[in-house]
Amino acid sequence: MNEATQEALSRTNFTTIDTVIVAVYLLLSVAIGLMVKRYAGSMANYIGAGRKVGTWLGVATMTGTELGLVTVMYSAQKGFSGGFAAFHIAVIAGVATLFVGLTGFIVGPLRRARVLTIPEFYEKRFNKSIRVIGGIMLVFGGVLNMGLFLKAGSMFIVGVTGLASDGEVLKWVMVGLLVMVLIYTTLGGMISVILTDYVQFVVLSFGLLVATGMAVSKLGWSKIFETVHTELGDAGFNPTIEGTGFGWSYILWMLVTAGLIGSAVWPTAVSRALAMRSEKALKQQYCWSSISFAVRFLIPYFWGICALVFISATPEGADLKALFFPPEGSTQEGLNNLYAMPVFIGRILPPVLIGIITAGMIAAFMSTHDSYFLCWSSVITQDIVAPLRKKPFSTKSRVKLTRIVIILMGGYVLYWSLFYKGGEDIWDYMAVTGGIYFTGAFVVLMLGVYWKKMSSFGALLGLLAGFLMVVGLEPVQKAVGLKVESSPGEWTEVLTSPQIGLITVGISLVLSVLGSLMRPDKAKGKEEGNLAV
Amino acid sequence: MTWELLWKIVFIGVVSLFALLSVLVTILGARDVKRMLKELKSEESEEE
Repeated sequence: MNEATQEALSRTNFTTIDTVIVAVYLLLSVAIGLMVKRYAGSMANYIGAGRKVGTWLGVATMTGTELGLVTVMYSAQKGFSGGFAAFHIAVIAGVATLFVGLTGFIVGPLRRARVLTIPEFYEKRFNKSIRVIGGIMLVFGGVLNMGLFLKAGSMFIVGVTGLASDGEVLKWVMVGLLVMVLIYTTLGGMISVILTDYVQFVVLSFGLLVATGMAVSKLGWSKIFETVHTELGDAGFNPTIEGTGFGWSYILWMLVTAGLIGSAVWPTAVSRALAMRSEKALKQQYCWSSISFAVRFLIPYFWGICALVFISATPEGADLKALFFPPEGSTQEGLNNLYAMPVFIGRILPPVLIGIITAGMIAAFMSTHDSYFLCWSSVITQDIVAPLRKKPFSTKSRVKLTRIVIILMGGYVLYWSLFYKGGEDIWDYMAVTGGIYFTGAFVVLMLGVYWKKMSSFGALLGLLAGFLMVVGLEPVQKAVGLKVESSPGEWTEVLTSPQIGLITVGISLVLSVLGSLMRPDKAKGKEEGNLAV
Repeated sequence: MTWELLWKIVFIGVVSLFALLSVLVTILGARDVKRMLKELKSEESEEE
Protein backbone atom coordinates (compact mmCIF):
# COMPACT_ATOMS: atom_id res chain seq x y z
CA MET A 1 0.00 0.00 0.00
CA ASN A 2 1.57 3.33 -1.03
CA GLU A 3 1.95 6.45 1.12
CA ALA A 4 -0.95 8.39 -0.44
CA THR A 5 -3.31 5.48 0.13
CA GLN A 6 -2.10 5.02 3.68
CA GLU A 7 -2.59 8.71 4.36
CA ALA A 8 -6.13 8.68 2.93
CA LEU A 9 -7.06 5.60 4.97
CA SER A 10 -5.68 7.12 8.18
CA ARG A 11 -8.19 10.00 8.05
CA THR A 12 -10.75 8.29 10.24
CA ASN A 13 -12.84 9.34 13.24
CA PHE A 14 -11.84 6.18 15.12
CA THR A 15 -10.33 7.23 18.49
CA THR A 16 -9.05 5.70 21.74
CA ILE A 17 -12.54 5.61 23.25
CA ASP A 18 -13.63 3.48 20.30
CA THR A 19 -10.76 1.08 20.95
CA VAL A 20 -11.98 0.78 24.56
CA ILE A 21 -15.55 0.05 23.41
CA VAL A 22 -14.28 -2.70 21.10
CA ALA A 23 -12.03 -4.19 23.81
CA VAL A 24 -14.85 -4.28 26.40
CA TYR A 25 -17.12 -5.99 23.92
CA LEU A 26 -14.53 -8.63 23.10
CA LEU A 27 -13.83 -9.37 26.75
CA LEU A 28 -17.55 -9.75 27.34
CA SER A 29 -17.67 -12.44 24.62
CA VAL A 30 -14.89 -14.43 26.26
CA ALA A 31 -16.55 -14.05 29.66
CA ILE A 32 -19.76 -15.57 28.25
CA GLY A 33 -17.79 -18.57 27.00
CA LEU A 34 -16.30 -19.11 30.43
CA MET A 35 -19.66 -18.69 32.17
CA VAL A 36 -21.54 -21.31 30.15
CA LYS A 37 -18.71 -23.87 29.91
CA ARG A 38 -20.29 -26.05 32.59
CA TYR A 39 -23.43 -26.68 30.46
CA ALA A 40 -21.46 -27.94 27.43
CA GLY A 41 -20.97 -31.50 28.65
CA SER A 42 -23.09 -33.49 26.17
CA MET A 43 -22.87 -33.46 22.36
CA ALA A 44 -26.53 -32.32 22.11
CA ASN A 45 -25.70 -29.36 24.34
CA TYR A 46 -22.30 -28.70 22.80
CA ILE A 47 -23.38 -28.59 19.16
CA GLY A 48 -27.14 -28.05 19.49
CA ALA A 49 -27.61 -26.06 22.73
CA GLY A 50 -29.70 -28.96 24.03
CA ARG A 51 -32.41 -28.02 21.46
CA LYS A 52 -33.68 -25.42 23.94
CA VAL A 53 -33.59 -22.31 21.75
CA GLY A 54 -36.81 -20.27 21.69
CA THR A 55 -38.14 -18.38 18.65
CA TRP A 56 -36.72 -14.92 19.41
CA LEU A 57 -33.34 -16.16 20.50
CA GLY A 58 -33.42 -18.31 17.35
CA VAL A 59 -33.96 -15.21 15.20
CA ALA A 60 -31.06 -13.47 16.96
CA THR A 61 -28.68 -16.38 16.48
CA MET A 62 -29.72 -16.99 12.87
CA THR A 63 -29.12 -13.31 12.13
CA GLY A 64 -25.87 -13.29 14.11
CA THR A 65 -24.55 -16.19 12.10
CA GLU A 66 -25.61 -15.10 8.66
CA LEU A 67 -24.87 -11.39 9.09
CA GLY A 68 -21.12 -11.90 9.06
CA LEU A 69 -18.51 -9.26 8.38
CA VAL A 70 -17.54 -11.05 5.20
CA THR A 71 -21.15 -10.75 3.97
CA VAL A 72 -21.20 -7.07 4.86
CA MET A 73 -17.92 -6.47 3.02
CA TYR A 74 -18.84 -8.23 -0.22
CA SER A 75 -22.37 -6.88 -0.20
CA ALA A 76 -21.05 -3.34 0.21
CA GLN A 77 -18.71 -4.03 -2.71
CA LYS A 78 -21.68 -5.20 -4.79
CA GLY A 79 -23.60 -2.04 -3.91
CA PHE A 80 -20.55 0.07 -4.75
CA SER A 81 -20.16 -1.48 -8.19
CA GLY A 82 -23.76 -2.47 -9.02
CA GLY A 83 -25.81 0.25 -7.32
CA PHE A 84 -29.46 -0.32 -6.43
CA ALA A 85 -29.72 -3.15 -8.98
CA ALA A 86 -28.03 -5.33 -6.33
CA PHE A 87 -31.15 -4.95 -4.16
CA HIS A 88 -32.78 -7.81 -6.10
CA ILE A 89 -30.52 -10.23 -4.19
CA ALA A 90 -31.82 -8.93 -0.85
CA VAL A 91 -35.41 -9.31 -2.03
CA ILE A 92 -34.75 -12.87 -3.22
CA ALA A 93 -33.06 -13.79 0.09
CA GLY A 94 -35.95 -12.39 2.15
CA VAL A 95 -38.72 -13.97 0.06
CA ALA A 96 -36.97 -17.37 -0.10
CA THR A 97 -36.47 -17.42 3.68
CA LEU A 98 -40.12 -16.50 4.20
CA PHE A 99 -41.05 -19.37 1.86
CA VAL A 100 -38.93 -21.76 3.95
CA GLY A 101 -40.58 -20.42 7.11
CA LEU A 102 -44.10 -20.84 5.77
CA THR A 103 -43.57 -24.30 4.26
CA GLY A 104 -40.73 -25.75 6.35
CA PHE A 105 -39.00 -26.55 3.02
CA ILE A 106 -36.21 -29.08 3.79
CA VAL A 107 -35.52 -27.79 7.34
CA GLY A 108 -38.91 -28.92 8.73
CA PRO A 109 -38.38 -32.60 7.86
CA LEU A 110 -34.76 -32.35 9.06
CA ARG A 111 -35.89 -31.04 12.46
CA ARG A 112 -38.55 -33.78 12.61
CA ALA A 113 -35.85 -36.39 11.96
CA ARG A 114 -34.10 -35.06 15.11
CA VAL A 115 -30.69 -34.97 13.48
CA LEU A 116 -27.92 -32.62 14.60
CA THR A 117 -26.12 -32.31 11.25
CA ILE A 118 -27.01 -32.68 7.56
CA PRO A 119 -24.77 -35.77 7.02
CA GLU A 120 -26.56 -37.44 9.95
CA PHE A 121 -29.70 -37.12 7.86
CA TYR A 122 -27.86 -38.75 4.95
CA GLU A 123 -27.25 -41.82 7.10
CA LYS A 124 -30.81 -42.00 8.35
CA ARG A 125 -32.17 -41.58 4.82
CA PHE A 126 -29.51 -43.48 2.85
CA ASN A 127 -26.57 -45.21 4.54
CA LYS A 128 -23.37 -44.66 6.51
CA SER A 129 -21.17 -44.30 3.40
CA ILE A 130 -23.26 -41.41 2.10
CA ARG A 131 -23.00 -39.78 5.52
CA VAL A 132 -19.20 -40.00 5.45
CA ILE A 133 -18.89 -38.87 1.79
CA GLY A 134 -21.41 -36.06 2.36
CA GLY A 135 -19.51 -35.04 5.48
CA ILE A 136 -16.17 -34.97 3.67
CA MET A 137 -17.58 -32.85 0.83
CA LEU A 138 -19.25 -30.51 3.27
CA VAL A 139 -16.06 -30.01 5.25
CA PHE A 140 -13.90 -29.74 2.13
CA GLY A 141 -16.03 -27.00 0.56
CA GLY A 142 -16.84 -25.34 3.89
CA VAL A 143 -13.35 -25.12 5.33
CA LEU A 144 -11.90 -23.86 2.04
CA ASN A 145 -14.77 -21.40 1.88
CA MET A 146 -13.86 -19.73 5.18
CA GLY A 147 -10.16 -19.58 4.34
CA LEU A 148 -10.24 -15.93 3.38
CA PHE A 149 -12.69 -14.61 6.01
CA LEU A 150 -9.87 -13.33 8.20
CA LYS A 151 -8.44 -11.41 5.24
CA ALA A 152 -11.80 -9.70 4.60
CA GLY A 153 -12.09 -8.88 8.31
CA SER A 154 -8.64 -7.32 8.28
CA MET A 155 -9.59 -5.11 5.34
CA PHE A 156 -12.56 -3.77 7.30
CA ILE A 157 -10.39 -3.05 10.34
CA VAL A 158 -7.80 -1.30 8.17
CA GLY A 159 -10.48 0.81 6.49
CA VAL A 160 -12.28 1.87 9.66
CA THR A 161 -9.42 2.27 12.12
CA GLY A 162 -6.70 3.44 9.74
CA LEU A 163 -4.28 0.75 10.95
CA ALA A 164 -1.38 0.09 8.59
CA SER A 165 -2.40 -2.92 6.52
CA ASP A 166 1.14 -4.19 6.09
CA GLY A 167 2.29 -3.51 9.65
CA GLU A 168 2.79 -6.00 12.48
CA VAL A 169 -0.09 -4.54 14.54
CA LEU A 170 -2.77 -5.77 12.21
CA LYS A 171 -1.39 -9.31 12.24
CA TRP A 172 -1.48 -9.34 16.02
CA VAL A 173 -5.02 -7.95 16.01
CA MET A 174 -6.04 -10.82 13.75
CA VAL A 175 -4.29 -13.37 15.96
CA GLY A 176 -5.92 -11.87 19.07
CA LEU A 177 -9.41 -11.97 17.56
CA LEU A 178 -8.97 -15.53 16.44
CA VAL A 179 -7.70 -16.64 19.84
CA MET A 180 -10.74 -15.08 21.54
CA VAL A 181 -13.13 -16.86 19.15
CA LEU A 182 -11.31 -20.13 19.79
CA ILE A 183 -11.52 -19.70 23.57
CA TYR A 184 -15.24 -19.11 23.84
CA THR A 185 -16.18 -21.56 21.08
CA THR A 186 -14.10 -24.46 22.38
CA LEU A 187 -15.26 -23.84 25.95
CA GLY A 188 -18.96 -23.14 25.59
CA GLY A 189 -19.85 -24.71 22.21
CA MET A 190 -23.23 -23.78 20.74
CA ILE A 191 -24.53 -22.31 24.00
CA SER A 192 -21.86 -19.60 24.11
CA VAL A 193 -22.14 -19.11 20.34
CA ILE A 194 -25.88 -18.46 20.68
CA LEU A 195 -25.46 -16.09 23.62
CA THR A 196 -22.77 -14.07 21.85
CA ASP A 197 -24.99 -14.03 18.75
CA TYR A 198 -27.74 -12.46 20.86
CA VAL A 199 -25.42 -9.73 22.17
CA GLN A 200 -24.18 -9.19 18.62
CA PHE A 201 -27.74 -8.85 17.32
CA VAL A 202 -28.57 -6.17 19.86
CA VAL A 203 -25.36 -4.18 19.25
CA LEU A 204 -25.30 -4.57 15.48
CA SER A 205 -28.98 -4.10 14.64
CA PHE A 206 -29.17 -0.73 16.37
CA GLY A 207 -25.75 0.21 14.99
CA LEU A 208 -26.84 -0.66 11.43
CA LEU A 209 -30.00 1.41 11.71
CA VAL A 210 -28.32 4.46 13.24
CA ALA A 211 -25.41 4.38 10.77
CA THR A 212 -27.84 4.07 7.85
CA GLY A 213 -29.81 7.06 9.13
CA MET A 214 -26.61 9.07 9.47
CA ALA A 215 -25.49 8.13 5.95
CA VAL A 216 -28.80 9.36 4.50
CA SER A 217 -28.69 12.56 6.54
CA LYS A 218 -25.07 13.23 5.54
CA LEU A 219 -25.47 12.62 1.80
CA GLY A 220 -29.13 13.48 1.21
CA TRP A 221 -31.79 11.02 0.04
CA SER A 222 -32.26 12.53 -3.44
CA LYS A 223 -28.55 13.01 -4.04
CA ILE A 224 -27.90 9.31 -3.46
CA PHE A 225 -30.27 8.35 -6.29
CA GLU A 226 -29.13 11.17 -8.60
CA THR A 227 -25.47 10.17 -8.22
CA VAL A 228 -26.21 6.52 -8.98
CA HIS A 229 -28.02 7.68 -12.15
CA THR A 230 -24.98 9.76 -13.11
CA GLU A 231 -22.33 7.18 -12.28
CA LEU A 232 -24.01 3.91 -13.28
CA GLY A 233 -26.97 4.89 -15.49
CA ASP A 234 -29.91 2.46 -15.87
CA ALA A 235 -27.65 -0.45 -14.92
CA GLY A 236 -27.52 1.02 -11.41
CA PHE A 237 -31.23 0.22 -10.99
CA ASN A 238 -32.26 -2.48 -13.44
CA PRO A 239 -30.79 -5.94 -12.60
CA THR A 240 -32.06 -7.59 -15.78
CA ILE A 241 -29.62 -5.72 -18.05
CA GLU A 242 -27.07 -8.24 -19.36
CA GLY A 243 -23.33 -7.56 -19.42
CA THR A 244 -23.35 -5.36 -16.31
CA GLY A 245 -22.48 -8.05 -13.78
CA PHE A 246 -26.13 -9.10 -13.33
CA GLY A 247 -28.70 -10.33 -15.90
CA TRP A 248 -31.24 -13.17 -15.89
CA SER A 249 -28.83 -16.06 -15.33
CA TYR A 250 -27.35 -14.17 -12.38
CA ILE A 251 -30.81 -13.57 -10.91
CA LEU A 252 -31.66 -17.27 -11.28
CA TRP A 253 -28.34 -18.25 -9.66
CA MET A 254 -29.11 -15.89 -6.76
CA LEU A 255 -32.53 -17.51 -6.38
CA VAL A 256 -30.73 -20.81 -5.81
CA THR A 257 -27.77 -19.57 -3.72
CA ALA A 258 -28.79 -16.45 -1.78
CA GLY A 259 -32.37 -17.74 -1.68
CA LEU A 260 -33.01 -21.43 -1.09
CA ILE A 261 -29.49 -22.62 -0.32
CA GLY A 262 -28.65 -19.71 1.97
CA SER A 263 -31.65 -20.40 4.15
CA ALA A 264 -32.40 -24.12 3.83
CA VAL A 265 -29.18 -25.90 2.88
CA TRP A 266 -26.19 -23.91 4.13
CA PRO A 267 -25.04 -25.91 7.20
CA THR A 268 -24.55 -23.00 9.61
CA ALA A 269 -28.13 -21.81 9.05
CA VAL A 270 -29.47 -25.36 9.22
CA SER A 271 -27.58 -26.03 12.47
CA ARG A 272 -29.50 -23.11 14.01
CA ALA A 273 -32.76 -24.60 12.76
CA LEU A 274 -31.89 -27.98 14.26
CA ALA A 275 -31.20 -26.38 17.65
CA MET A 276 -34.76 -25.03 17.86
CA ARG A 277 -37.15 -26.12 20.56
CA SER A 278 -39.81 -27.37 18.10
CA GLU A 279 -40.74 -27.37 14.41
CA LYS A 280 -43.27 -24.63 15.10
CA ALA A 281 -40.56 -22.47 16.70
CA LEU A 282 -38.31 -23.23 13.70
CA LYS A 283 -40.92 -22.01 11.22
CA GLN A 284 -41.51 -18.86 13.26
CA GLN A 285 -37.75 -18.36 13.41
CA TYR A 286 -37.52 -18.50 9.61
CA CYS A 287 -40.54 -16.23 9.03
CA TRP A 288 -39.09 -13.50 11.27
CA SER A 289 -35.53 -14.11 10.07
CA SER A 290 -36.67 -13.41 6.50
CA ILE A 291 -36.45 -9.73 7.42
CA SER A 292 -32.87 -10.02 8.63
CA PHE A 293 -31.94 -12.27 5.67
CA ALA A 294 -33.00 -9.37 3.43
CA VAL A 295 -31.37 -6.74 5.63
CA ARG A 296 -28.02 -8.52 5.80
CA PHE A 297 -27.69 -7.73 2.10
CA LEU A 298 -29.81 -4.61 1.78
CA ILE A 299 -28.10 -2.35 4.32
CA PRO A 300 -24.53 -3.24 3.26
CA TYR A 301 -25.54 -2.66 -0.41
CA PHE A 302 -26.87 0.71 0.64
CA TRP A 303 -23.65 1.51 2.51
CA GLY A 304 -21.67 0.56 -0.60
CA ILE A 305 -23.89 2.84 -2.69
CA CYS A 306 -23.41 5.64 -0.14
CA ALA A 307 -19.64 5.09 -0.30
CA LEU A 308 -19.82 5.52 -4.09
CA VAL A 309 -21.78 8.77 -3.66
CA PHE A 310 -19.40 9.99 -0.94
CA ILE A 311 -16.32 9.34 -3.07
CA SER A 312 -17.63 10.56 -6.40
CA ALA A 313 -19.90 13.46 -5.44
CA THR A 314 -18.87 15.09 -2.13
CA PRO A 315 -15.96 17.42 -1.31
CA GLU A 316 -15.09 15.34 1.82
CA GLY A 317 -14.50 12.25 -0.28
CA ALA A 318 -12.78 13.99 -3.18
CA ASP A 319 -9.30 12.84 -2.11
CA LEU A 320 -10.44 9.23 -2.44
CA LYS A 321 -11.70 9.51 -6.01
CA ALA A 322 -8.28 9.24 -7.65
CA LEU A 323 -7.42 6.29 -5.40
CA PHE A 324 -10.49 4.23 -6.30
CA PHE A 325 -10.87 5.51 -9.88
CA PRO A 326 -7.38 6.36 -11.22
CA PRO A 327 -7.57 8.74 -14.18
CA GLU A 328 -7.13 7.27 -17.64
CA GLY A 329 -3.49 6.88 -18.57
CA SER A 330 -2.41 6.62 -14.93
CA THR A 331 0.03 3.81 -14.17
CA GLN A 332 -1.33 3.47 -10.64
CA GLU A 333 -3.69 0.57 -9.96
CA GLY A 334 -7.05 1.47 -8.38
CA LEU A 335 -7.50 0.72 -4.67
CA ASN A 336 -9.51 -2.46 -4.04
CA ASN A 337 -13.13 -1.28 -3.80
CA LEU A 338 -13.67 -3.54 -0.77
CA TYR A 339 -12.09 -0.68 1.17
CA ALA A 340 -14.72 1.85 0.02
CA MET A 341 -17.41 1.07 2.62
CA PRO A 342 -15.15 0.89 5.72
CA VAL A 343 -13.36 4.10 4.70
CA PHE A 344 -16.73 5.81 4.23
CA ILE A 345 -17.98 4.57 7.63
CA GLY A 346 -14.70 5.65 9.25
CA ARG A 347 -15.16 9.17 7.94
CA ILE A 348 -18.85 9.91 8.47
CA LEU A 349 -19.58 8.35 11.86
CA PRO A 350 -18.62 10.24 15.02
CA PRO A 351 -16.44 8.74 17.76
CA VAL A 352 -18.31 6.35 20.12
CA LEU A 353 -20.81 5.44 17.40
CA ILE A 354 -17.95 4.28 15.21
CA GLY A 355 -16.69 2.24 18.18
CA ILE A 356 -20.11 0.62 18.60
CA ILE A 357 -20.38 -0.14 14.88
CA THR A 358 -16.84 -1.55 14.80
CA ALA A 359 -17.55 -3.68 17.89
CA GLY A 360 -20.72 -4.92 16.16
CA MET A 361 -18.84 -5.69 12.96
CA ILE A 362 -16.03 -7.46 14.78
CA ALA A 363 -18.75 -9.34 16.64
CA ALA A 364 -20.20 -10.30 13.25
CA PHE A 365 -16.74 -11.38 12.17
CA MET A 366 -16.32 -13.48 15.31
CA SER A 367 -19.79 -14.98 15.19
CA THR A 368 -19.29 -16.20 11.64
CA HIS A 369 -16.01 -17.78 12.64
CA ASP A 370 -17.40 -19.44 15.77
CA SER A 371 -20.40 -20.84 13.90
CA TYR A 372 -18.27 -22.14 11.05
CA PHE A 373 -15.69 -23.62 13.41
CA LEU A 374 -18.38 -25.37 15.42
CA CYS A 375 -20.31 -26.53 12.37
CA TRP A 376 -17.42 -28.02 10.41
CA SER A 377 -15.70 -29.50 13.48
CA SER A 378 -18.89 -31.20 14.63
CA VAL A 379 -19.34 -32.67 11.14
CA ILE A 380 -15.77 -34.02 11.26
CA THR A 381 -16.40 -35.59 14.68
CA GLN A 382 -19.98 -36.79 14.26
CA ASP A 383 -20.14 -37.60 10.58
CA ILE A 384 -16.65 -38.64 9.53
CA VAL A 385 -14.63 -39.88 12.50
CA ALA A 386 -17.42 -41.44 14.61
CA PRO A 387 -19.01 -43.53 11.81
CA LEU A 388 -15.58 -44.80 10.70
CA ARG A 389 -14.51 -45.85 14.22
CA LYS A 390 -15.06 -49.45 15.14
CA LYS A 391 -14.76 -48.86 18.90
CA PRO A 392 -17.40 -46.94 20.89
CA PHE A 393 -16.84 -43.19 20.89
CA SER A 394 -17.72 -41.63 24.24
CA THR A 395 -19.36 -38.22 24.57
CA LYS A 396 -16.35 -36.88 26.42
CA SER A 397 -14.02 -37.98 23.61
CA ARG A 398 -16.33 -36.48 20.98
CA VAL A 399 -16.41 -33.09 22.70
CA LYS A 400 -12.64 -33.26 23.16
CA LEU A 401 -12.03 -34.11 19.49
CA THR A 402 -14.41 -31.35 18.37
CA ARG A 403 -12.41 -28.86 20.45
CA ILE A 404 -9.11 -30.08 18.98
CA VAL A 405 -10.48 -29.79 15.43
CA ILE A 406 -11.68 -26.24 16.16
CA ILE A 407 -8.16 -25.25 17.23
CA LEU A 408 -6.63 -26.90 14.12
CA MET A 409 -9.06 -25.03 11.90
CA GLY A 410 -8.12 -21.80 13.67
CA GLY A 411 -4.50 -22.49 12.70
CA TYR A 412 -5.50 -23.12 9.10
CA VAL A 413 -7.54 -19.91 8.87
CA LEU A 414 -4.68 -17.89 10.31
CA TYR A 415 -2.19 -19.44 7.91
CA TRP A 416 -4.45 -18.99 4.90
CA SER A 417 -5.27 -15.37 5.66
CA LEU A 418 -1.82 -14.16 6.65
CA PHE A 419 0.40 -16.12 4.34
CA TYR A 420 -1.67 -17.25 1.34
CA LYS A 421 -0.88 -15.08 -1.67
CA GLY A 422 -3.46 -16.33 -4.15
CA GLY A 423 -4.57 -13.84 -6.76
CA GLU A 424 -8.24 -14.83 -7.17
CA ASP A 425 -11.12 -12.51 -6.53
CA ILE A 426 -12.26 -13.47 -3.02
CA TRP A 427 -15.95 -13.54 -3.87
CA ASP A 428 -15.41 -15.91 -6.80
CA TYR A 429 -13.22 -18.07 -4.62
CA MET A 430 -15.97 -18.28 -1.99
CA ALA A 431 -18.77 -18.95 -4.45
CA VAL A 432 -16.84 -21.78 -6.08
CA THR A 433 -15.61 -23.43 -2.87
CA GLY A 434 -19.07 -23.17 -1.26
CA GLY A 435 -20.61 -24.48 -4.48
CA ILE A 436 -18.58 -27.70 -4.29
CA TYR A 437 -20.72 -28.59 -1.30
CA PHE A 438 -24.04 -26.90 -1.84
CA THR A 439 -24.79 -27.65 -5.50
CA GLY A 440 -24.85 -31.40 -4.81
CA ALA A 441 -26.24 -31.13 -1.27
CA PHE A 442 -29.17 -28.98 -2.41
CA VAL A 443 -30.30 -31.65 -4.86
CA VAL A 444 -29.62 -34.60 -2.54
CA LEU A 445 -31.39 -33.00 0.42
CA MET A 446 -34.35 -31.86 -1.64
CA LEU A 447 -34.84 -35.21 -3.37
CA GLY A 448 -33.94 -37.13 -0.19
CA VAL A 449 -36.68 -35.32 1.70
CA TYR A 450 -39.39 -35.15 -0.95
CA TRP A 451 -38.83 -38.08 -3.34
CA LYS A 452 -39.26 -41.56 -1.94
CA LYS A 453 -37.44 -43.24 -4.84
CA MET A 454 -34.21 -41.33 -4.23
CA SER A 455 -31.56 -44.01 -3.66
CA SER A 456 -28.11 -44.10 -2.08
CA PHE A 457 -26.48 -44.47 -5.51
CA GLY A 458 -28.40 -41.44 -6.81
CA ALA A 459 -27.30 -39.49 -3.71
CA LEU A 460 -23.67 -40.47 -4.27
CA LEU A 461 -23.74 -39.29 -7.90
CA GLY A 462 -25.57 -36.10 -6.93
CA LEU A 463 -23.03 -35.22 -4.24
CA LEU A 464 -20.01 -35.98 -6.42
CA ALA A 465 -21.41 -33.79 -9.20
CA GLY A 466 -20.64 -30.82 -6.93
CA PHE A 467 -16.95 -31.19 -7.81
CA LEU A 468 -17.81 -29.78 -11.26
CA MET A 469 -17.96 -26.39 -9.54
CA VAL A 470 -14.17 -26.37 -9.52
CA VAL A 471 -14.51 -25.40 -13.19
CA GLY A 472 -15.76 -22.05 -11.90
CA LEU A 473 -12.29 -21.17 -10.57
CA GLU A 474 -10.56 -18.72 -12.86
CA PRO A 475 -7.31 -20.69 -13.46
CA VAL A 476 -9.35 -23.82 -14.30
CA GLN A 477 -11.65 -21.80 -16.58
CA LYS A 478 -8.60 -20.56 -18.47
CA ALA A 479 -7.06 -24.04 -18.59
CA VAL A 480 -10.15 -25.68 -20.07
CA GLY A 481 -10.90 -22.84 -22.47
CA LEU A 482 -13.98 -21.43 -20.75
CA LYS A 483 -12.22 -18.08 -20.41
CA VAL A 484 -10.31 -16.98 -23.49
CA GLU A 485 -8.09 -14.00 -24.18
CA SER A 486 -9.94 -12.18 -26.96
CA SER A 487 -7.27 -9.45 -27.19
CA PRO A 488 -4.15 -8.77 -25.06
CA GLY A 489 -5.32 -8.24 -21.47
CA GLU A 490 -9.01 -8.68 -22.43
CA TRP A 491 -10.66 -11.91 -21.29
CA THR A 492 -14.01 -13.21 -22.46
CA GLU A 493 -15.97 -15.80 -20.49
CA VAL A 494 -17.61 -18.55 -22.51
CA LEU A 495 -19.60 -19.46 -19.40
CA THR A 496 -19.95 -17.22 -16.35
CA SER A 497 -19.66 -18.59 -12.80
CA PRO A 498 -23.45 -18.33 -12.26
CA GLN A 499 -24.02 -20.31 -15.46
CA ILE A 500 -21.51 -22.96 -14.34
CA GLY A 501 -23.29 -23.12 -10.98
CA LEU A 502 -26.72 -23.58 -12.58
CA ILE A 503 -25.36 -26.24 -14.94
CA THR A 504 -23.78 -28.07 -11.97
CA VAL A 505 -27.11 -28.08 -10.11
CA GLY A 506 -28.79 -29.38 -13.28
CA ILE A 507 -26.21 -32.16 -13.75
CA SER A 508 -26.50 -33.13 -10.08
CA LEU A 509 -30.28 -33.33 -10.46
CA VAL A 510 -30.12 -35.47 -13.60
CA LEU A 511 -27.47 -37.81 -12.14
CA SER A 512 -29.40 -38.19 -8.88
CA VAL A 513 -32.62 -39.11 -10.68
CA LEU A 514 -30.94 -41.44 -13.19
CA GLY A 515 -28.82 -43.09 -10.48
CA SER A 516 -31.90 -43.65 -8.30
CA LEU A 517 -33.87 -45.18 -11.15
CA MET A 518 -30.97 -47.36 -12.30
CA ARG A 519 -29.96 -48.60 -8.85
CA PRO A 520 -32.84 -48.25 -6.39
CA ASP A 521 -32.34 -49.06 -2.72
CA LYS A 522 -33.86 -52.18 -1.24
CA ALA A 523 -37.21 -51.32 0.38
CA LYS A 524 -36.75 -50.29 4.00
CA GLY A 525 -38.67 -52.07 6.71
CA LYS A 526 -41.30 -50.37 8.81
CA GLU A 527 -38.93 -49.95 11.72
CA GLU A 528 -36.39 -48.02 9.68
CA GLY A 529 -39.05 -46.08 7.81
CA ASN A 530 -38.40 -43.77 4.88
CA LEU A 531 -37.72 -40.18 5.87
CA ALA A 532 -39.00 -38.83 2.57
CA VAL A 533 -42.32 -37.04 3.04
CA MET B 1 -43.58 1.60 -11.64
CA THR B 2 -39.93 2.43 -12.24
CA TRP B 3 -37.01 0.44 -10.81
CA GLU B 4 -36.00 3.47 -8.76
CA LEU B 5 -39.41 3.75 -7.11
CA LEU B 6 -39.47 0.00 -6.47
CA TRP B 7 -36.11 0.07 -4.67
CA LYS B 8 -37.17 3.10 -2.62
CA ILE B 9 -40.27 1.23 -1.42
CA VAL B 10 -38.26 -1.96 -0.76
CA PHE B 11 -35.59 -0.09 1.18
CA ILE B 12 -37.97 1.88 3.40
CA GLY B 13 -40.25 -1.13 3.95
CA VAL B 14 -37.49 -3.61 4.84
CA VAL B 15 -35.55 -1.21 7.07
CA SER B 16 -38.76 -0.29 8.96
CA LEU B 17 -39.57 -3.97 9.50
CA PHE B 18 -36.02 -4.57 10.69
CA ALA B 19 -36.34 -1.75 13.24
CA LEU B 20 -39.46 -3.44 14.61
CA LEU B 21 -37.74 -6.84 14.62
CA SER B 22 -34.74 -5.40 16.49
CA VAL B 23 -36.96 -4.19 19.33
CA LEU B 24 -38.87 -7.49 19.52
CA VAL B 25 -35.75 -9.66 19.48
CA THR B 26 -33.96 -7.51 22.05
CA ILE B 27 -36.83 -7.79 24.54
CA LEU B 28 -38.20 -11.28 23.85
CA GLY B 29 -34.78 -12.77 23.10
CA ALA B 30 -33.63 -11.84 26.62
CA ARG B 31 -36.58 -13.84 27.94
CA ASP B 32 -35.54 -16.84 25.82
CA VAL B 33 -31.96 -16.57 27.10
CA LYS B 34 -33.18 -16.69 30.70
CA ARG B 35 -35.41 -19.68 29.99
CA MET B 36 -32.67 -21.61 28.19
CA LEU B 37 -30.14 -21.06 30.95
CA LYS B 38 -32.72 -21.99 33.60
CA GLU B 39 -33.47 -25.28 31.82
CA LEU B 40 -29.80 -26.09 31.33
CA LYS B 41 -29.18 -25.33 34.98
CA SER B 42 -32.01 -27.56 36.18
CA GLU B 43 -30.76 -30.37 33.91
CA GLU B 44 -27.34 -29.97 35.42
CA SER B 45 -28.74 -30.20 38.99
CA GLU B 46 -30.72 -33.34 38.05
CA GLU B 47 -27.56 -34.99 36.72
CA GLU B 48 -25.74 -34.20 39.96
